[in-house]
Amino acid sequence: MNEEIDEYDIYHQDFTTISEWEVFIARIEEVLNEWRLSKAKIPKGNLEFTKKWIGKSEEIKFQSLNFTLSYHTLECELNTNPLKDNKGVEGGWKPSTQLHNGIWEATKNFMDDEDGSPFPVSHWYGLKQYLMLYPSQPLVEENQIKLVMSSINIAFANIDCAVPFFLKIREHWQQCFLGIYEDSEFKTSFDTIHLKRIPNQCSHLNGLANLFKGKIASPVSLEPVLMSAKFSYELKDLEPFVWRPPSQTNEFLSIDGFDVEKLIELPFGAEKNPIQSALLNVMWPRFLENAVIDSASYSDFDPLMAPTWTITIKLRENINCLLSDLVGKMLDLLDDNHLLMDTLGLSRSLGILNPLHKITEAPITISKLVRAAMGSTSVSEFKGPIPDDLLMSLLYYIFPDAVDDDSHKYPEDLQVEMKQSDQEPKLCSAVKSSPAGGLVRRVSLVAARLLEAGGLPYLAHLWYEFTQELQYRWERRIRVPGVAAGPPGARSCLLHQKLQLLNCCIERAGVEAGAGGREGAGGDSDDEFYDCSEEEGEEETCERPAAAGRQERLDDAVMKNGAPLYIPKTQEPPPRTEDQVAEDAALLEAQGGGARGSALRARLLSASLLSDMEAFKAANPGAELCDFCRWYSPRDWRPEGGGALGERMLLPGNPWSEAWAVARPVPAARQRRLFDEQREAQQLLQWLRARTVAGVAELLLPGVLRAGAARASAAGATGGAGAAGSDTRRVLTAAARELAEAEKAAARAGAARVVLGGAAEGCPLEAAARARLLAAAGGALPPPARREFSLRVRDAGGAGGAGAPHVLRAALRQDLLLAGCFTEAAVLL
Amino acid sequence: MISESDSCTSSEIDYIPDQMAGGGDPKWQKDASDQNFDYMFKLLIIGNSSVGKTSFLFRYADDSFTSAFVSTVGIDFKVKTVFRHDKRVKLQIWDTAGQERYRTITTAYYRGAMGFILMYDITNEESFNSVQDWVTQIKTYSWDNAQVILVGNKCDMEEERVVSSERGRQLAEQLGVEFYETSAKENINVKNVFERLVDIICDKMSESLDSEPAIMAGGNRGQRLTEQPQGSSTPNCNC
Repeated sequence: MNEEIDEYDIYHQDFTTISEWEVFIARIEEVLNEWRLSKAKIPKGNLEFTKKWIGKSEEIKFQSLNFTLSYHTLECELNTNPLKDNKGVEGGWKPSTQLHNGIWEATKNFMDDEDGSPFPVSHWYGLKQYLMLYPSQPLVEENQIKLVMSSINIAFANIDCAVPFFLKIREHWQQCFLGIYEDSEFKTSFDTIHLKRIPNQCSHLNGLANLFKGKIASPVSLEPVLMSAKFSYELKDLEPFVWRPPSQTNEFLSIDGFDVEKLIELPFGAEKNPIQSALLNVMWPRFLENAVIDSASYSDFDPLMAPTWTITIKLRENINCLLSDLVGKMLDLLDDNHLLMDTLGLSRSLGILNPLHKITEAPITISKLVRAAMGSTSVSEFKGPIPDDLLMSLLYYIFPDAVDDDSHKYPEDLQVEMKQSDQEPKLCSAVKSSPAGGLVRRVSLVAARLLEAGGLPYLAHLWYEFTQELQYRWERRIRVPGVAAGPPGARSCLLHQKLQLLNCCIERAGVEAGAGGREGAGGDSDDEFYDCSEEEGEEETCERPAAAGRQERLDDAVMKNGAPLYIPKTQEPPPRTEDQVAEDAALLEAQGGGARGSALRARLLSASLLSDMEAFKAANPGAELCDFCRWYSPRDWRPEGGGALGERMLLPGNPWSEAWAVARPVPAARQRRLFDEQREAQQLLQWLRARTVAGVAELLLPGVLRAGAARASAAGATGGAGAAGSDTRRVLTAAARELAEAEKAAARAGAARVVLGGAAEGCPLEAAARARLLAAAGGALPPPARREFSLRVRDAGGAGGAGAPHVLRAALRQDLLLAGCFTEAAVLL
Repeated sequence: MISESDSCTSSEIDYIPDQMAGGGDPKWQKDASDQNFDYMFKLLIIGNSSVGKTSFLFRYADDSFTSAFVSTVGIDFKVKTVFRHDKRVKLQIWDTAGQERYRTITTAYYRGAMGFILMYDITNEESFNSVQDWVTQIKTYSWDNAQVILVGNKCDMEEERVVSSERGRQLAEQLGVEFYETSAKENINVKNVFERLVDIICDKMSESLDSEPAIMAGGNRGQRLTEQPQGSSTPNCNC
């Protein structure tokens, strides 16, 4: 059985005398043996295949030619057992039968269907495995083709190959392949002809039928030839199906036509037609040769009478989408680490370079909005690249409360979207949100559109005006609109948290100003005290130091000394944005891991504790630590003897008792404040101004992405939730990619829907759908863009069933492609 | 599966959080500059005051037990490095104050945690009744994929038990979390709880890695990001 391998061994010992050609053949044989493709070694039996093509390849050289020899096969279903040894043959199974049946079955399909294999031969001929020898340079010379083909013949025969073997010939763009398959009973040859012009006798079915029968030249009578035909018509050129680009306007830039609605209407969809081709296929799947006349002068084919109509659509691989473009421009900024204000040359005047420079002394502090209201031009002002009229409209859109016009008011009750329920993943849901319809969304969208329209200078100008307006609002104690109430919540995006914090500052400062006594805006914070209205408890204190700052009684608890125990009014811990929390955490971590670190951390964190203790002492004159614990940490309080400390409060070096020792009775209202809104606000505003380009993009992208996701969802796009994570940029880029995918899919689906109507792609159309198409085409179909005919016949059946098949397929466009496969039966002769 | 390394606590600063952005989010990426670990998990121990959170952590990190620790002021942490599948996993375990007044401070740290040990005291009914509240806190403030284990501590004090194991188990089932009874004093299940939590987090990690590989930084940081640039919105990955 392995004779040839022995020969091959001898071969190698005698390497001096052999020719290049012999080496080439030997090399092919070597590879085929390695891949175990001889009939003796290949698995037998009726294997079940998946639809997935797998393959392997080797490089082979011959003279100056380089070839890639590749083997392609459908993946076997795992659960089918190939028959061992020769049982399959005994059971009637033969490789040639499988091949013949495959060829026959494949004629039900047409040549332009695809099966996912790298070369079309598999679906032309219904192959489940094949070998392909592919030259790196086109193989056009007849001599060379013959030489290589005979090498293949020899190698095929030498190893008794079990798989059809093809050679790619002619220019690479021409789908021309020669192929052979041979066993003891049959020899099948595969041939392809490509002609750039269609010769007369091949331009119609009758001519092709003559060609086919001539080629078979069978000595025995044939069964009647079976035929099928398919005419294809371009659909996307039909007027009703012509693709129109989505409206993409920078119209908002023209001043007289400015319309906020146009600005915020995010562009969505493909820039170019996502459909590469849309074909109406008119098919006659099966008829006998004498049923139809189709000659140069007359044709029976009437597409309107054809039994089957289908639509097939081919979509472009890469399409640019408008929303993704917009997002992409913003995303690109993440690489730019220059200060955004440098773009305008403003960094120095804004004091960004010098942190000691006081913000309040920055030369420009009056809001543009106010200037406009006052009639402007009084202050020597910074002139940015955005035209004033446009800028004003945009600022009024972002800060609608600056103008007496209700058209763009923010919704009353803005909420940060809560955690989504698990079952419906939404686009970009990993990106932190901000209230839909809120300020962050508006400023992000305006920024994105301006960036697209005018580049970085426009974005910088907007950011400048935005921060100026925030500065102005802080100085005048005017709340920033369109921001959710309350302290910053880590659930929303960082920009939103910053604005929440700014509003906290503004409110706190407003209360200060309202309380009167203290210095107003811009005062030195060190002398200020936390303010909580100073009405004292009703029940008058009778003795000794007067109690102050009582909130309410703690149930009916009494102190160790018998006096009623009051909960004091307290300072709330200062609101923090997530970046500040991270800084705090870093500071705590920096104290180290040991006991010393723990002690330092406790000290860092005892400000709130001390404040509460002082408030408690003020509200409860004569209180002891155990009384404090009764309110603050009840499990560290014991009832024995009217009140005692729990075990752990008695430990030496206890931060609780240390703090208690130094705490003076001071009501919260007169304590040093834990939250210094002056410092916070100024730091925050400077922080916003001093962002890099990348930093601003990072602040704005969540709003852009969330708005984009909303736009995409409205347009029917869907997508899974990308993973959330720690790295903001990674989350942003992942979300942007997710959005781009969704947009692309939606654009494709939308374009396909226009052409398909309600019909499914590739399925036979109902009468109504056919009528719709016909109407779109104006009642009659144009000349077909492509015609395809398939002719097949089998030799009179042998004992084991159907005989060997002969097939000719012809695809006619401007050119002609003929693919034929003819089988000679050795035994019949 | 998990073995302990010698460098339980290190005094140097092991990682510096992303100042600008990462904020409250989990840090589980490998820090290339740090040779001491491959991954870092941030865990939080929460629960009512004096259920034994600090003792539990000391037992795990230092293998020591003292009947009384100072009541934690605000928040504290310890570090321990363990091995899992040949990877050094550095656990940064945050120990929180259980008192009501500390809620605002401690919940700010929830966002960064990948796992929670929610603890009650089996001798204290109230601490058990508060479990639901703590779960709500986690839901509100934590990262969506954070993992939780319910722990009933002080199981050595059988005579004073008021919460049966069965009730604990039922509650855990109802909450969809795993459950252990532990004793920091007798060193029962302490290590198991941490190991289990690390396992659950790792499982979750590999799950999300399947869907979004970019999360896992490690050596192949950003690799998959560049793999399929789409349209013009080319993702950039030099984070």
